[in-house]
Amino acid sequence: MVAMASIVALAVSGCTRGGGGEEGDGEGAAASPGITDTSLTFGITTPLTGPTAGPGNCTADGALAYFGVKNAEGGIEFGDGKTRTIEIKTYDDQYDPQKALANFQQMVAEDVFAAGIGLGTPTNRAWREAAIDEEFPQVLAMTGDPLFSDREESPWQLGLVATYPQEGNAFGTLLAESGEDHKVAILSQNDDYGDGYVEGFKEAVADADNIEIVGELTYEATDTSVDAQLTELAATGADVFFNAMSITPLVISSLQKAQQLGWTPSWFLPSNTSSPVAILEPGGGAAFPGIYTVAFSEAAGSPAFQESEEGQAFMAALGEYTNQDGVPGFPHCVWSWIGAATLEQAFKNMEEPTRESFMEALLNISDFDAPFMLPGAAIDTTVDGIPAVSQVVVQKYNGKGYETAESFG
Amino acid sequence: MNRMSTLLRNRWVQIGLIAVVAIVLIVAPLMLPVFANQTLIRIGVYAVAVLGLNIVMGYAGQVNLGQIFFLGLGAYVAAYGVTHDWNILLVFVAACVIPGVVGLLIALAASRLGGLAIAMITIALPIVGVPLAKRLSDLTGGSQGVSARFSGAPEWSGLFDDQWQYYIVLVVTVGAFVLGRNLVRGKFGRGFKIVRENEAVAASMGVSPYRYKVLAFTIASILGGASGFLYLAAVQYTSPETLSFGHSIALLAAMVIGGAGSIAGSLIGGIYYVFVPQVTNAIDPTLTAISQGVILLAVLFLLPGGLVSLPRVIRRLTRRRTSRPTQGGSPQTTPAQPPPAAVAQEGPENTERQSRS
Repeated sequence: MVAMASIVALAVSGCTRGGGGEEGDGEGAAASPGITDTSLTFGITTPLTGPTAGPGNCTADGALAYFGVKNAEGGIEFGDGKTRTIEIKTYDDQYDPQKALANFQQMVAEDVFAAGIGLGTPTNRAWREAAIDEEFPQVLAMTGDPLFSDREESPWQLGLVATYPQEGNAFGTLLAESGEDHKVAILSQNDDYGDGYVEGFKEAVADADNIEIVGELTYEATDTSVDAQLTELAATGADVFFNAMSITPLVISSLQKAQQLGWTPSWFLPSNTSSPVAILEPGGGAAFPGIYTVAFSEAAGSPAFQESEEGQAFMAALGEYTNQDGVPGFPHCVWSWIGAATLEQAFKNMEEPTRESFMEALLNISDFDAPFMLPGAAIDTTVDGIPAVSQVVVQKYNGKGYETAESFG
Repeated sequence: MNRMSTLLRNRWVQIGLIAVVAIVLIVAPLMLPVFANQTLIRIGVYAVAVLGLNIVMGYAGQVNLGQIFFLGLGAYVAAYGVTHDWNILLVFVAACVIPGVVGLLIALAASRLGGLAIAMITIALPIVGVPLAKRLSDLTGGSQGVSARFSGAPEWSGLFDDQWQYYIVLVVTVGAFVLGRNLVRGKFGRGFKIVRENEAVAASMGVSPYRYKVLAFTIASILGGASGFLYLAAVQYTSPETLSFGHSIALLAAMVIGGAGSIAGSLIGGIYYVFVPQVTNAIDPTLTAISQGVILLAVLFLLPGGLVSLPRVIRRLTRRRTSRPTQGGSPQTTPAQPPPAAVAQEGPENTERQSRS
């Protein structure tokens, strides 16, 4: 007992070195923590190790590379006329919500000015309310969860990438605008992910007379086969198949099963399960009249990207400031870079060195020509309910990669 | 050294020490910075979870790889209660009882099976738990999780939120540890030990291995549920990710590093679970996983009894160097010495057991 107690005591005394953030930090006109006349500290908590480390590292690396270049150039001139360098502090949450919250608490103690760009819905949700309490900006979260872009619910938050409903909506709009009659079969994952896509899609086709939904089924994220659902949907004779599915092997087997059934509709697939190499090639995507998906950024692997000046600067920065080797395997590196460029806009426009002023500037970005955005996609942070990426583009599979689709068909 | 331990055995000295520690624990949050309090809160959460794991694995010797499931279940029950405006005491009781009942039901079936079969069943718990939590979205909020805030400090207390949470966690953690200590020191502790060492001997002595296994498992589940309640008090949010299998293994590693079959080791395990990621964040955040692996290996090789055996090992080394032991100085495993039979003996046997688990 005594041994135990003394260990507690030891632990207590050992913790004092946490230091830093005392309650009741001076509010008002004085500068917020984490910003001086020459630098600003920005935190990123994201999975850097563990199963999601691949996209997680990319999420941090894009911003590290972007601000690495900016700092080497001397820093960024803020709206108050001072030039500051941006120090990025990364924290590993291993996709564990509890660790994400711990990282947030650590950031507060270590005087981080603002944080964000981190990957993951549960991990970002875990410290959302704590951030609101602390009046701490949690910005450009890399999650399709619409909650982060709800200005009422999340006054100190903003999402970066398009939400699930936005993606479904973009495809629905394209379909409705085609003017031709289409019968649509819907298969969706029975959770907020699938629901989000379907909700957005239905909203877009609600007033379109030419679109008829002839079948709508769901599957569970734990299912290993959706053959039964596909057989049933194939029997509806739909010519468009809206498949809100997040599981890679299931998408591949669905593509194969539909061919076996002799059902060859046009497909819609979510942005994260539409990879040409990983999914469409093994699934035999060329057999279908069209496979559509949604995107907002250029792919780092495409020849056009690699040949462009911007793309080469991106690759050079990644090589110099991060551990990425060659073309990054995940789009999150480019997204993070776009997020960093958006942050820079906010920094340039914030007139006081405070978190309030930063949020005001961040939520006021429109007409911003961000790097690596596809023509038609846009960054606009002024719309309630919509994350920073406000416009997405529907793309069609061309046998190798994707091209922007101007119209359906 | 000897004089020290006789001094420590004096009842008044003990009471005095406990009083000092209690005062330190009560006053500490008022002096410490916010982040230190928050760290202590999280240590409390995981210390209770590791304590539960230690009772079923360290003391009763049953492999349990599903402790995180009970933590997650406790957190979900607490979240459900809080969002439906239950009284907070009722929430706490429910968060302990429901995982306890689930644990009991599982144990009733699983304990009939041999050692490895129990391990398999407990592996299944978090693996089933995650999709279940996603699917029962009316109760759990689905894959987006559910946030429930109840641990803000009330007006009258004049405390900050982190201090209030600290006291909630302190009360539950101290309660759990005192109960856990009394349990393993008493009749049940002896029963667990015999069941762990040899079930046939236990049965021949009138100690039902089945009953003791079920008991240990149920207690672990209740403590898991209690730590889930604390988790919600500290994190105020839970999601299917909370009960993922990997965290269960991390808890297990924390128990081994702290010291299997040791109450104090559970606390050290909790400290390890919370502290190491925090430290690696400060050094290089991409090293979290590897540093934990290195620490685990180092402890297993150098201190098979866990970090809690460090003072004992040091004492043994120094004693060997200073004097040939005369007969009287039998090693003091614990300062407060109950009757010899009641001591859950640590030391060589401990290491043996670890190599098995």
